[in-house]
Amino acid sequence: MSAPAPSTFDHFAHRSMAESDQAWKDLRQQCPVAWTEANGGYWIAAGYEEVAAAFRDWESFSSARSDPDRTSLSIGGSIMRVLYPEELDPPQWNPMRRVLGRMLAPQSVERLRPRVEHWVAHSIDQVIERGTCDLSDDLTCRVPESVALEMLGFDRSDWTRISGAFHHMASYANGTPEFVAAGAELEWVAELVHHELTARLHAPRDDGMTSIVHHEIDGARIPLEAAEAITRLTVGGGVDTSTSVSSAALLHLSRHPADRQRLLEDPTLIDGAVEEFLRVYPPARTHSRIIARDVEFAGCQMHKGQRILLSEVSANHDETEFPEADRFIIDRFPNRHISFGMGLHRCPGSHLARLELKTILVQVLERMPDFVVDEAGVVEYPNWSMIGGWGKIPATFFPGQRVLS
Amino acid sequence: MRVVLDSEKCQGHGRCYVLAPEVFGPDEEGYGTVLQADVSGEALAQAERGALGCPEAAISLEEGAGRS
Repeated sequence: MSAPAPSTFDHFAHRSMAESDQAWKDLRQQCPVAWTEANGGYWIAAGYEEVAAAFRDWESFSSARSDPDRTSLSIGGSIMRVLYPEELDPPQWNPMRRVLGRMLAPQSVERLRPRVEHWVAHSIDQVIERGTCDLSDDLTCRVPESVALEMLGFDRSDWTRISGAFHHMASYANGTPEFVAAGAELEWVAELVHHELTARLHAPRDDGMTSIVHHEIDGARIPLEAAEAITRLTVGGGVDTSTSVSSAALLHLSRHPADRQRLLEDPTLIDGAVEEFLRVYPPARTHSRIIARDVEFAGCQMHKGQRILLSEVSANHDETEFPEADRFIIDRFPNRHISFGMGLHRCPGSHLARLELKTILVQVLERMPDFVVDEAGVVEYPNWSMIGGWGKIPATFFPGQRVLS
Repeated sequence: MRVVLDSEKCQGHGRCYVLAPEVFGPDEEGYGTVLQADVSGEALAQAERGALGCPEAAISLEEGAGRS
C-alpha cells in the first residue's frame, strides 16, 4: 500500500477545543494514519488501534531524546531540558521508571488520599463564604499543585510560582510577553529543582525528592542530572495536566445539568464519570515519537528519523472503539481510553490523577452543587496542540461554611 | 475458568484491580497480579469485567481449572 495523499493538517493551528476536536474528527474519518506537510512534515496517527499500537511499539516509535537541546515529545522540538523516564528507551528506562512507579503506585496514592481530601477542602474553604470564584485559579490549579509539590517536598511558598510557570506557559500564545516570561519561570523551576535535590543529597528528608535523588541502580546512586530529569517530569506531569481535566469536568457539569443531576442523585456513578471525563477531555491531547527504524505501519512506509504524532484525543473519539463517541455516557463500559498513554510510558501519575479528579468532583457536588459557570468570562488556552485547558472559569454558587479550622 | 495475566503486556493502568478487586491486586509498582487464578460465580463475573476493561488486553480467561 502507498501512503495516503499528503494533507496540510496542522495541530498547532487549533485555537479552541471545539476547533481541535472537529479537525481531528475530519482527519480520522479520512484515514487512521496520515502524512502532513505542515511544520516540516510528520506522520499522524489518529485511529484508536493505530495510536495504541504505536504507543506500545517503542522499538519503532521512540520517545528517547536524540537532540541534547530539543525535546522528543513535541513535533516542534522546542528547546527544553530532558525529562526522564519518558525520554528514555529500555534498558535505560527500566530502573529510572522504578522510582516513580513506587512513589505513585496505588498503595502510595492511597496514603496520599487524606492530603488530597485536605487540599480540596482547603481550596473550597478559601471561596465558599463568598459564593463566587474562579474554578481554575481557586480550585483546579491549587489542588494538583498542592498535592504534587507537597509530596515532592517543595516549600509551600514556592508552590504557586512553580505551577504558575506551567499554567502560564499553556495560557498565553507563543511569542506574547507573558509566554516569554513563563519560559523564564520554567528555567527558575529547573534551577530550584537542582537546588532542592542537592540539599537532599547531604540532608535527606521524608519526601519524594529525597527518594528520587537517593534512588540507586545496582547499588550506585543515580547521577544528579538524572534525578533532576525525573523531578522535572514529575513536577510538569503533576500540575497542569490534572488541572486541565478537572476544569473540563467542572465546565461539563455546568453545561450539562442532566449529567450533574445524575451524579447528585447517584454518587456511585462517580468512578465511571471520572473515566468518561478522562476519555472526552484528555489533558495531553497528543504526544510525539521519533521513528527509530524503517517500518511499515498501517500500510504506510515510514523512515528512520521521521516524526509521528500520536493523538490521544483522536483515539478517544474513534467510533470503532467507542460507540457514540461524541456522547458523554456517564457509565460507559468498557472505556479503554488512551488519556494516560499506552505501553511502557503509561502515565505513572494516573492513579493520583484519578483520585484528584474524583475528590474535586465529590467535594464540589457536596459543597457547591448549584455552581454555574459565567460563560462570558471563560478563557480557553490559545493552543490545543498538546495540553488543553482553560485560563479563566468564573463561577457563582450559593455560599456555604468553611469546614477546616 | 482460569485467569491469565500477561505481565509482558501489563503496563500498570490498574483497571483490573479496581474493577475486580477480589481477583487482581497491584504489585509494588502498580502492575497487575492475579490473586485468585481459578474463578467461578461472582469472581468470574469480576474477572470478565477486569479483562474487558484492560487497555492493554493483557488479561484472558481460559477454560480449564476451576468450576465454571
